Amino acid sequence: MMKSIATNNRCRQIRAWLGAAISRRFGPEADWLQNHLSGCPRCQRRFAAYGKVNLALSLMKSQPHRLDLLMRANQQAVGVLKHSLRQAPKAQKLAATMPEPKLLERWCKYGHSTANLAACLAILFLMKVGVFSSMNEFQTQGHRVVRQYYTNQVGEELADEIFAQNTQQSPSANSRGPFTA
Amino acid sequence: MFSKAVSCGSLWDFAVTESVAENQRWILSAMQKYGPQLATMLWRILGNEQDVCDAYQDTFLQVAHCEGGRKPEYVRAYIFRVANNVAISMLRRRIAERKRLSGTNTTRKAVNSPWQELDSKYLQETLRDSVAQLPDHLRNVITLRDLAGLSYSQVGGILGISAATARVYRCKAIQLLALWMDKEE
Repeated sequence: MMKSIATNNRCRQIRAWLGAAISRRFGPEADWLQNHLSGCPRCQRRFAAYGKVNLALSLMKSQPHRLDLLMRANQQAVGVLKHSLRQAPKAQKLAATMPEPKLLERWCKYGHSTANLAACLAILFLMKVGVFSSMNEFQTQGHRVVRQYYTNQVGEELADEIFAQNTQQSPSANSRGPFTA
Repeated sequence: MFSKAVSCGSLWDFAVTESVAENQRWILSAMQKYGPQLATMLWRILGNEQDVCDAYQDTFLQVAHCEGGRKPEYVRAYIFRVANNVAISMLRRRIAERKRLSGTNTTRKAVNSPWQELDSKYLQETLRDSVAQLPDHLRNVITLRDLAGLSYSQVGGILGISAATARVYRCKAIQLLALWMDKEE
């Protein structure tokens, strides 16, 4: 089961790479195509015609209409349905429907803010982790230095005794240093 | 006695009407679900708001009367195909009307100029005319894929073909459109 999922994912990746590679090699921006186009009037004409179709399709798609088009269309369509259907609450609702952007489109405008917030949180988290790990390191180093000092001054046995007692005490007492013992 | 019979009859009629209406409530759900996409597709095909409203109404009227108002098995496919056919019929009527009014096609060719080729309205009208002339199987793919904005798998599902076939049909349709739009010059 897991193996087939992994194979499918791999297939999907390869398909995407293949598509990109093919469009690089055979797309309208490919060098060999541009070289040919520069010297072939017939292909130039065909290429221009394709461009024109694409342009016209894009224009058709981007042509705006009035916002209440759907509402008017619904009203007109509901108007020819059976009386009982016309009176249904859903029909009344439809007759006042305005087009709404999809959920993804609605949340798209918050995308940048969400990304910024996530980045800030990540930085804060990393800083916090970094600060705490550094503090622990400093504490351990400090302990070692103080212990070394006591070893030099009063001898190893006594220092061991003091620091052994110290480690047996609570962490709060430990933080006050060996003189409190 | 007679009045009792009349009241029983009217009650029966009322009950039958109510049950029919109950059976047809799916039309309202379909309108709610596919309405926005359908209106967008019709707007892109027809480019005229009144025509869009008329085509939308015709579509749901035909859907409501299909097989005595029974719900089709594939509602989306049925609605989109009906809307597509209605819109293309309207478009063809409009083209015929325009041709009749303007006499012959030669007058149109005479006013062609380089700046007009980039005119968005002219380009759109030329494409609409060409789309209306496409064979059914190619035209359906172009309208569903490019004008309704459906994915190839959805287009395949609606037309009963595979996604790969839909891709091939679209490619052929674009080739034909390019050829015809080139000849328009």
